[in-house]
Amino acid sequence: MLSTQFPWLTALILFPLIAALPIPLLPNKYGKTVRFYALGVGFIEFATMLYAFWKHYDLQATGFQLVESYPWLPQIGLNWSVGVDGISMPLVILSGLITTLALLASWKINDKPRLFYVLMLVLYSAQIGVFVAQDLLLFFFMWELELVPVYLLISNWGGEKRLYAATKFILYTAAGSIFILVAALAMAFYGGDFTFDIQALGLKDYSLTFELAMYAAFLLAFGVKLPIFPFHTWLPDAHSEAPAPVSMILAGVLLKMAGYGLIRMGIEMLPNAHAYFAPALAVLGVVNIIYASLTAFAQTNLKRRMAYSSIAHMGFVLIGLASFTTLGISGAMLQMVSHGLIAAALFFLAGVTYDRTHTLMMDKLGGMAKQMPTVFALFTAGSMASLALPGMSGFVGELTIFLGFSSSDAYSVPFRAVVVLLAAVGVILSPIYLLSMLRSVFYGNEGSALAKLSLTDANPREAFIAVCLLIPIIGIGIYPKLATQTFDTTTVALTSHARMVLPAIAHKPMLDFQSPMMSAPVIGAETKAALLD
Amino acid sequence: MTEFLVDSSWWVPVYGVLGAVVTLPWSTGLIRRAGSRPAAYLNIVMTVVALLHCVILWTDLWDLPALHVDIPWLKLFDLNLYFSIELSRVSLGAAVLITVLSLLAQFFALGYLEKDWALGRFYALMGFFEGAMTGIALSDSLFSSYALLEMLTLSTYLLVGFWYAQPLVVTAARDAFLTKRVGDLLMLMGVVALSAIAGTLDYAELTAWAETAELAPLTATLLGLALLAGPIGKCAQFPLNLWLDEAMEGPSPASILRNSVVVACGAYVLIRMQPILSLSPVVLTTLMVVGAITAIGASLVSIGQIDIKRALSHTTSAYLGLVFLAVGMQQDEVALMLLFAHALSKALLYMSVGSVTLTTSTQDLTEMGGLGSRMPATSLAFAIGSIAMVGMVPFGGFWAMQIWAERVTVGAPGLLLILLLVNGLTAFNLTRVFGLVFAGEPQAKTRRAPEAPWAICLPMVSLIVMCLLVPVMLLQWELLPSLASVRSPLSLAIIGSSVVGFGFGAFIYLNPAFEHPLGLGWKSMQDILAQDFRTDQLYRVTVVFAVRRGARLAAWFDRYVVDGMVNLIGVASIFGSESLKYTISGQSKHYLLTVVIGVILGIASLGWLF
Repeated sequence: MLSTQFPWLTALILFPLIAALPIPLLPNKYGKTVRFYALGVGFIEFATMLYAFWKHYDLQATGFQLVESYPWLPQIGLNWSVGVDGISMPLVILSGLITTLALLASWKINDKPRLFYVLMLVLYSAQIGVFVAQDLLLFFFMWELELVPVYLLISNWGGEKRLYAATKFILYTAAGSIFILVAALAMAFYGGDFTFDIQALGLKDYSLTFELAMYAAFLLAFGVKLPIFPFHTWLPDAHSEAPAPVSMILAGVLLKMAGYGLIRMGIEMLPNAHAYFAPALAVLGVVNIIYASLTAFAQTNLKRRMAYSSIAHMGFVLIGLASFTTLGISGAMLQMVSHGLIAAALFFLAGVTYDRTHTLMMDKLGGMAKQMPTVFALFTAGSMASLALPGMSGFVGELTIFLGFSSSDAYSVPFRAVVVLLAAVGVILSPIYLLSMLRSVFYGNEGSALAKLSLTDANPREAFIAVCLLIPIIGIGIYPKLATQTFDTTTVALTSHARMVLPAIAHKPMLDFQSPMMSAPVIGAETKAALLD
Repeated sequence: MTEFLVDSSWWVPVYGVLGAVVTLPWSTGLIRRAGSRPAAYLNIVMTVVALLHCVILWTDLWDLPALHVDIPWLKLFDLNLYFSIELSRVSLGAAVLITVLSLLAQFFALGYLEKDWALGRFYALMGFFEGAMTGIALSDSLFSSYALLEMLTLSTYLLVGFWYAQPLVVTAARDAFLTKRVGDLLMLMGVVALSAIAGTLDYAELTAWAETAELAPLTATLLGLALLAGPIGKCAQFPLNLWLDEAMEGPSPASILRNSVVVACGAYVLIRMQPILSLSPVVLTTLMVVGAITAIGASLVSIGQIDIKRALSHTTSAYLGLVFLAVGMQQDEVALMLLFAHALSKALLYMSVGSVTLTTSTQDLTEMGGLGSRMPATSLAFAIGSIAMVGMVPFGGFWAMQIWAERVTVGAPGLLLILLLVNGLTAFNLTRVFGLVFAGEPQAKTRRAPEAPWAICLPMVSLIVMCLLVPVMLLQWELLPSLASVRSPLSLAIIGSSVVGFGFGAFIYLNPAFEHPLGLGWKSMQDILAQDFRTDQLYRVTVVFAVRRGARLAAWFDRYVVDGMVNLIGVASIFGSESLKYTISGQSKHYLLTVVIGVILGIASLGWLF
């Protein structure tokens, strides 16, 4: 399956890795060369990505595109096979955008900058690798490759409890990801032909018990990463201790790997098991939303509060994935993209605040709006997006999930009603903790940490990063098609694939959502004629 | 020309938003040298353009049936989201009213916020505010109405929080947002459910659907109650009423709009949803109970206030309660008329109050007095606004109440009592405020008060003229009841209640014999009114308590149970390895012994198992 064209995806994966090699040798006078070099690599990578998808990706086609496949270690069946479809392409772009902005956000890293940027670039490669890998073993390899830099980044450049947080992170995610390997091996050996190719694995005919066991393994692995209650406690520690650029990537991209994995391995490869697990996913989603929202409200650390808010918002993704409707699954995709942007923006702004105040305890902050109006405005915009205000991407994502789940014919009416209502309670809780966060950080009188501290407002670089994230947030909010068109052909195919196994609804028309929400006659000919008289 | 204006009618809300966008260079500080004034002027120009657009459309389309225009927004599979616009007499009239008041309020702000450094930001928010409101007026689908109501929530939050360094503002902005947001989200649930049940969210189609719909009573009730929550929050009705009172900490020009047309937007959406609400008698009853409680409760509470703006804001809730009652009796036209009369007179009252607070730098009624001779235009505005608001011939409030009394009380004469009570209490309260502010002896803060500057007086005087012209407008639109009905006992009762209210008020507050009229009455009674019947305590022991306790519990559980488990495993493994360390003695006989014991134990367990 070797395409004749330029190997775009391989190039995208390898470029940051190779570009990271000479960093230790670069002269770093005044600490500028390395950071400009890394930033340049990031921009080139992002631009190449956009160009490759713009030129060579067909939005209307369903299957995988830009496919490449080379044998790597044929002895163990490992192939370098990569490709993108509508599920992975938006996430690749998301990781490109966020990582590039994170490189720009790490301007103030003066401690061991060479190592820092090398790790960031390796992380860049690994993220793209996870999203484009079409070989389960390669996927596992990339998944592990991404853990190491994150561990080192947190343990070297983190806050006070960085070692605890980093260890917790690596233990949790490494333990979780073992299940990916176990499942991969089990599935590869199942039946006669030995293969790690994701599509070939999806075509195998597994017994139901085996499929359920595999699904459970994947759910454990991805449940730690997403994270799903009760495997979430590494996240508040890791996010709050990590330096701001790493938090951006953690919240913006790494959590989405789990959502992506659930779609790719769960719905696509194991649809029969998905039918059994879906109600549990919906329930776990609701638990995530309410539990994490409540816990968020009780946090006094700014970044911990945002970390719990991330957990709550990822709960919506679970509900969307469980919906068996095109709207629901598209909503889950939309929510992942939107949350990636919003969480990155908020964590970045928290970092901007921390740079100046050197504390994240909200009771010590306060009244910062007077000295930092720009940060205040950007923070408010980010919070509004996060609490799902119409006109911003968070609203479209959550609304689509609500609509998708409430119109799902796979569940009984009371179950749908309860899930949607409880999720709505979570949406009511999100402004409570976000507004009280804004209130205690920015409004009112100055807090104790700010006494005798002269704060400078956001500089152009910082404002630029935040605006780069807010523009797509508002763009998607006002015109959701910007994001939905990148994945809607794939989600349609995916939903019909998932529905095939539910005998009760498999043969019903898939587009069961018969309510075009708004459709009114356009100005009729007669009235127009009457007007002209 | 008309066709062009119709096709571009979606621009009407956009003008305001565009005005907000063009102020960005000033509000973000890119342009510092020129000051923020140009931002203000640009916004005023945009509002004038919006006003002209509306007025021309209004006159052109006056005799035509309602027009529908669709702008596609989101197309996802079979999901088509449009921004549908309805152009009718009512919707365009509402848009004209909003733009007129917005224009006057923005002009007013030129004087009111003359020396405020964040003028650009203020005008951006006002433009946004206006855009959202005209959007609601013209919107033809429940979905876009919902989205725009949320925009109003956002702009209220930002406008109330405009002076973000003041301690009271902090909680006021947050409470305004949270209260409205709770209502909005319940409404969203209703909208989501309705879109699945009815298959449409277009008002015209919803009305047609509601005529034939057969819903289970429970479904209809839940649906209606969810939809009702949005307007209850927006119109500051019990139990979501306290945000309006707190929002009075924001700048006065925004209060003018908030108390006149913003609350009316919520009622406007309520009126448009009325066919769906009517599907369930329980919902209509709830609507009326809420309206009645708020109308009476808020009228009483307003008497106990000593903050000049809060004293008036509660009467807004009370009048909106009357509107709720009218909608509950399915008298949409009456509701619209009352909204119209109330909006103009309330805006005038707030202009007058804004002028007073600007010159005296206080909102405390106890610090005022004797302003009548010093601020003639302002006191005239207050007087005219008061008379126009309550039922006094021949002003707007009277006609609205007359029709209310004629149509709403049919079959429910008890409602007339509510109307008379609200009217009388409002008249009393307005006289009370008038007496405390404009009559009596001047105090320290009012002694040297000059009349407000022209930028404030001009919009105020224009609004006085408009208020006086309301009966003429109603006559023009053929909305006035016949003259015969005016002589009925109903109108006598309305006028009588106003006169009683005015009389009592004048007797206490315009009478030099009472030296400290504020301290009249029982202390406990006064306290309970001043504290809004302790509604905030109700919040505190219910919702706030539940959320706070829930949050604390969840955080405790998370920290000590979920995370505690994880840390326990970590500690246990460290402990295990640390204690195993001591078995490493370096002597081979110990190792041999361990191996032997291990083998024996292993064989024994195997034998026990099988």
